[in-house]
Amino acid sequence: MTRRANPGFLPPLVMVWFLGGLGGFAQSSGAFDRGLTEFRAGNYSSAAALFADAEAASPGATDALLYQAKSLVHLQDFAGAERVLRGYVLSHPDSSDALYMLGFVLNRQNRPAESLASYTEAASIQRPRGDDLKMVGLDYVLLDDYADAIKWLEKAVTLDGTNKDAWYYLGRAYYTKSRLIEARKAFLTVLDLDPRDSKAENNLGLIFESSAQPEAAIEAYRTAIAWQEQSPQPSEQPYVNLGNLLMERGRMEEALAPLEKAVALAPDNAFCHMTLGVYYRKIGKPVPARRELERATQLDPENAAAHYQLGRLYKDIHALDLAKVEFDRTAELQGRAAGPKPAPPNP
Amino acid sequence: MKLQPAFRNPHSLLMLPFYFLLTASVLLIRVQGQNAAQASGSGPVEAFVDTTQRLGVNFQYRASHTSRKYLLETMGAGVALFDYDNDGRLDIYLVNGAPLSDPTAKGTVPQKTDSQYWNRLYHQKLDGTFEDVTEMAGLQGAGYGFGVAVGDYDNDGFEDLYVTAYGGNKLYHNNGNGTFTDVTEKAGVAGGGWSTSAAWVDLDGDGFLDLVVVRYVEWDFDDVWCGEHKEGYRAYCHPDFFKPISPLVYHNNKDGTFTEVAQKVGLGKAGKGLGVAIADYDRDGHIDVFVANDSMVEFLYHNKGDGTFEDVGLASEVAVDIDGRTYAGMGVDFADYNNDGWPDIVVTNLANQRYALYRNNGDGTFTYASNTAGIGQMTMAHSGWGVRFFDYDNDGWKDLLIAQGHDLDTIELNYPNLHYREPVLLARNTGHGFVDVSAQSGNIFRQAWVSRGMAIGDLDNDGRLDAVLTTNDGSVHVLHNEMATRNHWILLKLVGHKSNRDAIGAEVTLVTGFGPQYATVSTTGSYLSASDKRVHFGLGQESVARRIEIRWPSGIRQTLKDMPADQILQIDEPVTPSTPPKR
Repeated sequence: MTRRANPGFLPPLVMVWFLGGLGGFAQSSGAFDRGLTEFRAGNYSSAAALFADAEAASPGATDALLYQAKSLVHLQDFAGAERVLRGYVLSHPDSSDALYMLGFVLNRQNRPAESLASYTEAASIQRPRGDDLKMVGLDYVLLDDYADAIKWLEKAVTLDGTNKDAWYYLGRAYYTKSRLIEARKAFLTVLDLDPRDSKAENNLGLIFESSAQPEAAIEAYRTAIAWQEQSPQPSEQPYVNLGNLLMERGRMEEALAPLEKAVALAPDNAFCHMTLGVYYRKIGKPVPARRELERATQLDPENAAAHYQLGRLYKDIHALDLAKVEFDRTAELQGRAAGPKPAPPNP
Repeated sequence: MKLQPAFRNPHSLLMLPFYFLLTASVLLIRVQGQNAAQASGSGPVEAFVDTTQRLGVNFQYRASHTSRKYLLETMGAGVALFDYDNDGRLDIYLVNGAPLSDPTAKGTVPQKTDSQYWNRLYHQKLDGTFEDVTEMAGLQGAGYGFGVAVGDYDNDGFEDLYVTAYGGNKLYHNNGNGTFTDVTEKAGVAGGGWSTSAAWVDLDGDGFLDLVVVRYVEWDFDDVWCGEHKEGYRAYCHPDFFKPISPLVYHNNKDGTFTEVAQKVGLGKAGKGLGVAIADYDRDGHIDVFVANDSMVEFLYHNKGDGTFEDVGLASEVAVDIDGRTYAGMGVDFADYNNDGWPDIVVTNLANQRYALYRNNGDGTFTYASNTAGIGQMTMAHSGWGVRFFDYDNDGWKDLLIAQGHDLDTIELNYPNLHYREPVLLARNTGHGFVDVSAQSGNIFRQAWVSRGMAIGDLDNDGRLDAVLTTNDGSVHVLHNEMATRNHWILLKLVGHKSNRDAIGAEVTLVTGFGPQYATVSTTGSYLSASDKRVHFGLGQESVARRIEIRWPSGIRQTLKDMPADQILQIDEPVTPSTPPKR
């Protein structure tokens, strides 16, 4: 298997502009001040409630709605944040801060077209920063338009050459389009900015793997794993990549531990379960293979590849009726993906 | 001469196969006095040399590119290598496009308005050069052409042509006197929509060739803008924007007419077909059909032996790549590259996908072998169309030649590492996998073309396989094999008598001291193209084929022993055990 799990296109939760204050607004009221205190302490639930109170007590008098939205973003309540921001934008249509933040929360809700509209509107009011352009690039990633994604991510790093995340996503976009030399440069830039960035190192592993340098790839994955060892939230990615590659190389005994670790770190990641299932199938252990592959299809019922791998397993164990169901499901999902899609609009 | 099959019910034969041990029925056409390397002398020689101009093949494919980026502009076209006049030398047929207005009205069926859009038949003369005999042959064609299939559908000993085109196809009957007659209407095989590749194959074993015509998508001249909305960035639309369409399958009624039976025989699944190839992948005695679909699952139709088929692509693990993903299947070939007796499959696709190589496990399933066999890495950044397994260096291992070039003429605007024009790829089979030897194999592998169709055949009968490639909106390229090798070879021309005259579907096993090799007689495969029907084997250092076993489509088996190398053998299907030898 060569397909990787979600390579990490999810943008970081906390945006750059969230770290600073939101200038230009009058700041007063007790609830608002208490909200700020809670926000700075990281108590986002109570902060959100206090900012809502502040707004209710003095509508439009403070930027409580923006801070409420920011608190909700921290709580990953993007729909809530959107609701608050849309209310704010109605009364403050010229607030670029609100529009940029709205673009962000729409991106996080996988609504790239609306996100881009918001960013465009914001940019007409205030020049975007590197981080804004990075999000625009990520919107195009969601739209599967890598040409535009690369264009905007390149603009982002031109505007702010120290934006590590923008470099990382640019590297990912290059990698996705097999522009491996440029991808490698981007990830090396990330490592210049942060010499122990395990995500960048993991992606260098992917590049080595794509360039038929499996041993270098294995080394990179191991390095990425070592670098994230002390992290409170280690990623499953280098583990699943390492296990997958070791499996492909026939080093089955070595592959098991990283594949199991990947599943332990990301128990809801269908790809990790699928890869472990494929591993068990390959070593002739149909029982755990079935468990993992069935789990993968439960976690991601629309994943044609998982159904396909499960179908192969069912065929191995002569559960031909079940295999047929899985292959039919694969065909259905692949057929659905094959279209026809609506014709694109003419300019 | 028109031979009628002695057995009308093929299954009676298949239930009672009989085995002939014959050196009979073998006609020695020509014996080379020396092998190819001796003929070409010593010293460094490029493996392939472009001899197009020297041979007088001056064809230009007219795609009629427009600003509207109609999808059909970038997809054509095909080429056929066949001996239409039975003089022992391969001739070349090239399919051409038609003019398109910019814009073209929806519902338009393009027509060839003047001679620059004609399809062309080039006859090979005694001296190896070619002459354009299109008008005399009556093969100018019609419409915006795509594919060509070669087969003697009426078993009269002369190869007929089926030419696909957007809006309607043509069947040309070879009159045996250098001319062809358009019999499309009478035969009932005009089809419709956007036909691409076609295959002549006896699906039901009745001794007459049937016709499988794959079609691409439901399509019309709609003015749809795909790609970025700025000047110069408009692009051809992805097939996902169009509905799939079922293929056409014409059963040969043996009287010059055909009946469309795609749904009836189980070959009617809607797909986005661009390539088709045949082989008996499970060696059950019944020929199977593989259809390469663009951006959806590939189809492997298993012949159930009762005249019907079922798609087993997913269950056989050839419908998707190793990760369960679809890809842009375009060209395809179906042959045994690892000499284990089981036909394998290669499917070309677009950059970032890796051409798909499926190794036949011999149990009805395949293993995706692109990565382990070296194909994945070497093709990651390439886009392939015409493809054939063929042993260019006569070492006994089938290599790969692949016509390349992206479908998007705008691709470099967004992806500088991908290219609309690409060199041809030559992948040598070492016996342990494939190695990209393009860089060491001649100047032509450094020239970038928008290659599409490709046919393989031995144009000069020297035992080294040549190739003819088409390019989109460009000239044809005749690639002459000048590989410096002392390896031996043998070329087999099979003539069916109970089976279809072309022996299409016959399975040939050749055994030397080096080991066995296997091949299926076929003119189809690659992309939109038809190749030399003769079966070629490289014998390496072996100067004798110890054994040649043939399983004819009729079920008859025949064995030849100790056949000297470096010759072209005509082998006739034995009608009865008492058939006298032809020598």
